[in-house]
Amino acid sequence: MSHHLSRREFIKASVAAAAAGAVGLPVPRMASAALPEAGWRWDKGVCRFCGVGCGLQIGTKGGRVVAVKGDPDNPVNRGLLCIKGYANAQILYGEDRLTRPLMRMKGGKFDKTGEFVAVSWEQAFDEMERQFKKVYGELGPTGVGIMGSGQYTVQEGYAAVKLVKAGWRSNNIDPNARHCMASAVAAFMQVFGIDEPAGNYDDIELTDTVVLWGANMAEMHPMLWARITDKRLANDDYRVVNITTFSNRNSDIADLEIVITPNSDLALWNYIAREIVRRGAVDKEFVERHCVFATGPYDIGYGMRATDTFAFAAERDTQRRERDVVLTRAEAIAQRRDPDKRHRVPQTNTSTAAKHWLISFEDFKKALEPYTLDFVAEVCKGDPDEPLDAYKKKLQRLADYYADPDRKVVSYWTMGFNQHVRGTWVNEQAYMVHLLTGKQAKPGNGAFSLTGQPSACGTAREVGTFAHRLPADMVVANPAHRKRSEKIWKLPPKTLNPKVGSHITKMMRDLEDGSLKWLWIQVTNPFQATANANHWIKAARKMDTFIVVSDVYPTLSCKVADLILPAAMIFEKWGAYGNSERRTQVWREQVPPPGEARSDVWQMLEFSKRFKLKEVWGRQKVPGLRSKGFKDGTLPDVLAQARRMGYSPDDTLYQVLFETSSNRRVPWPDPVARGHANHTVTHAGITWFPEKALFEEYRPFGRDHAHDLADFDTYYRDDIRGLKWPVIKGKETHWRFNAKYDPYVKKGRDFDFYGPALKSRPRGDLDGVTDPQKTSLAGKAKIFFRPYAAPAESPNAEYDLWLCTGRVLEHWHSGSMTRRVPELHQAMPTAQLFIHPEDARKRSLAKNDLAWIESRRGRIKARVETGGRNRMPRGLVFVPWFDEGVFINKVTLDGTCPISKQTDFKKCAVKIYKA
Amino acid sequence: MRGDVQLIILAVFLLVVAGVAQGAPPEGEPIPDRELGLSSGSVFDVPSPDPVSENRTDPGEKPALPRAYPGAPAIIPHGVADVLPITREDNLCLACHLVKEKVKGEPTPIPESHFIDLRNSPEKIGKQLVGARYNCMSCHASLTEADPLVGNRFPKPSVGPTRVPKP
Repeated sequence: MSHHLSRREFIKASVAAAAAGAVGLPVPRMASAALPEAGWRWDKGVCRFCGVGCGLQIGTKGGRVVAVKGDPDNPVNRGLLCIKGYANAQILYGEDRLTRPLMRMKGGKFDKTGEFVAVSWEQAFDEMERQFKKVYGELGPTGVGIMGSGQYTVQEGYAAVKLVKAGWRSNNIDPNARHCMASAVAAFMQVFGIDEPAGNYDDIELTDTVVLWGANMAEMHPMLWARITDKRLANDDYRVVNITTFSNRNSDIADLEIVITPNSDLALWNYIAREIVRRGAVDKEFVERHCVFATGPYDIGYGMRATDTFAFAAERDTQRRERDVVLTRAEAIAQRRDPDKRHRVPQTNTSTAAKHWLISFEDFKKALEPYTLDFVAEVCKGDPDEPLDAYKKKLQRLADYYADPDRKVVSYWTMGFNQHVRGTWVNEQAYMVHLLTGKQAKPGNGAFSLTGQPSACGTAREVGTFAHRLPADMVVANPAHRKRSEKIWKLPPKTLNPKVGSHITKMMRDLEDGSLKWLWIQVTNPFQATANANHWIKAARKMDTFIVVSDVYPTLSCKVADLILPAAMIFEKWGAYGNSERRTQVWREQVPPPGEARSDVWQMLEFSKRFKLKEVWGRQKVPGLRSKGFKDGTLPDVLAQARRMGYSPDDTLYQVLFETSSNRRVPWPDPVARGHANHTVTHAGITWFPEKALFEEYRPFGRDHAHDLADFDTYYRDDIRGLKWPVIKGKETHWRFNAKYDPYVKKGRDFDFYGPALKSRPRGDLDGVTDPQKTSLAGKAKIFFRPYAAPAESPNAEYDLWLCTGRVLEHWHSGSMTRRVPELHQAMPTAQLFIHPEDARKRSLAKNDLAWIESRRGRIKARVETGGRNRMPRGLVFVPWFDEGVFINKVTLDGTCPISKQTDFKKCAVKIYKA
Repeated sequence: MRGDVQLIILAVFLLVVAGVAQGAPPEGEPIPDRELGLSSGSVFDVPSPDPVSENRTDPGEKPALPRAYPGAPAIIPHGVADVLPITREDNLCLACHLVKEKVKGEPTPIPESHFIDLRNSPEKIGKQLVGARYNCMSCHASLTEADPLVGNRFPKPSVGPTRVPKP
């Protein structure tokens, strides 16, 4: 360390001398030689990786991608890309691309204990079908499922949701995006009644203050960080705040770093809100005209299993907290209880965690009262070596920024909020402060949820590839929404299943308890990505299950699969993604997929040919189904009605769902292709254009429902770099809910939070409902009070450290693409254990030593890093999850936000010792 | 202890097997799941990752490395431990690389493209490094000596390290 410092000081000293001579530095003279572009074809595209959605130009030659560059015409990134973005050219070419279906076989037949053997697509689909029909016959629609993705193209997600919900009448489709932004969605729905942010990325240039809450933007959204850095370096009044559980690269540029303890963001928001109220900084007019106050129950558990039947012995004490919680002293204070008494609280609202009711402003104020500077600073201070007084001053500065009426503020967050046992609450608290101060839905002002994945918004959320959703924010539990979907999809009434399916973590639990036996995994690597993985890999391998994985490379999930299907990659197919600022962007197929790899759309179309209506639209049992108009536990036979609609019981799902008469009228070839191929069309042997037809079929869901998209061809125009929905009369919407920008705002209003969901609520006080009569809140947003709550699991004498997991700049998610790019792998070859030097020394560990990381759920080994890009406070360690050789999700806890069902990957208790 | 030794032997064996099995398997040959993927072995194993061989070379010690393709970001051919972090006050990368032109044996100059502000004034070459490009490590990496996990068939570099993309 001292060697490092002295060397750094030495370099700095030399710079000071050099810098004096560098004033007004002339532009370096570089030969701007033409690139060797002869014969290269350039076309616009989108980055494969994060939710920022940077625009690319893709260079191809001879059927191969030869280069990518940042698209200077794309407003998202204006010609820049991060190190992963540049790797878009290379990710297609790892030597172990999957090019043929592989099935576990023994003696020429499928065998769960067999080794993988290359088979034809026909053989693969035959076995998939046989296994599906066996399980469907035994367990019905709830016995099968699809795990999807926030990396699905819009069309893939749409095809999947239609196949599962309309075809198989199951709601067991849920994306990895559940792990990514479900908490953001739940909060959007509860606060605004409609999903996705009001603002857009231009807020970065328009604001004076950026506050990052649990968002390591410097590594995870680097091109947004570039915009913030650019603005900060040019403006001395611009402020950047980094709120985090450990010091990271954001802190290097930030003006203010606030290191907090896990979960204490809940307390910090309430301190800010209390200050705003106390200082008279509430924007009274905005709040009175556009907001109401609300709260909900506190005893909602931690989204773990209700039973400990499947728990390892060591897990039982954490598991018990799902049913019974003894409040910590801080929780007692935070919930206005006597801190000197013991409060044992049975968790009675685990399955009704989302319920909420209106409260008065007086009650809201009363709820905030405990969140004084003294109390909150004690709860929040995350670095034990930081003096408390200095820390308090930081919190005051933060409150100053939010409370100052002359300062614009944008709050950004990612997984620190969303992967949180109170993820929905903490999202809602961000809106609480922005709504109180009227700093929402205005240029340069707003609470802005960033997504992790390239189409978590565009596909997972907008198309609705969730267990509870239908397209355009609709939900399966709502009869009107089912009716509308059945109309657009031309389904007999009551085809759609009203019972919410299993979220992605529950699907894993279902595998373990035998209630789900057939699973198709698409565009995701869930056996590496799901917390508490020892349970799930065992269930996959030892239970009577059939697991299909469609992927481009052999991932960890492929290793536990029974059948592996080779998929086409991003530039090998047509597609559309939607980014964090509601921008829908498209690309053409650039190069052919290798070998027999096929697009996911092709795979679903082909597989759907194997189902006749009479096999799926007859009477089906659905355990636990209770819904008006349905017999308990049963989906009705809809074949008679289907016949009246012109369908035959022998029609296939392919004919009914995909090759419809209107879709057949969308011809291929199409002028929009400009000579680009479509392998989906070629291998399906069809003359229609599935990606365009599916997109056009999907559009009516959002039309006139504030989710309007432009037509397919518009997005392919040379002068378009994506459009932010709602797109009305060809014009995109920059800020929603604001009359100056959003045509959906009712005439005569300046702001209109017009989202329709959850807008009729009973009234009550801080303890519960007092008047069940529902009040309509049309046009208003809810300001929620949510209390501080302790995490599901906290360090104790045995498991004495916090573990936080996350991503790194160089790798995308589970590393299946980026670890096959030589430069990225060599830049970050393994997931290291980031630990404070003192914590390492206490365990006789030094940099690069091998250490065990052990929790109640499992243990793995990693190499120690005591320095580097992350500076850990004592008591907390960080391990990235990209590395299947450092399988950290064997250690993490599968507790979720009980409202959003999103896993908290950011905090559990571990012990660390020398290996 | 005995278990650990066994694990090490197993790991070594599997590495050898994986090395052989790299690339497309021969037609019809069964592939055990332990040979699939980037980490050979069963999903139930707990591997021991290799130590990280951080790049410790000094600037100028090694020649510039080839870019992945024309327009791809230059790779940092030296260690960066002593120049990081890049803060608002100090960007020690600039200390050496903010030079006018390439002199043999001297630092590689930051290219012209980095002085064109594509967001705010795309029509001119500015006098200062564009702020959006200030975080050098967002695009440029210093490499460890780790061996690739699998090969990559992306077209090999065809131009030298000083070429820059057109903005």
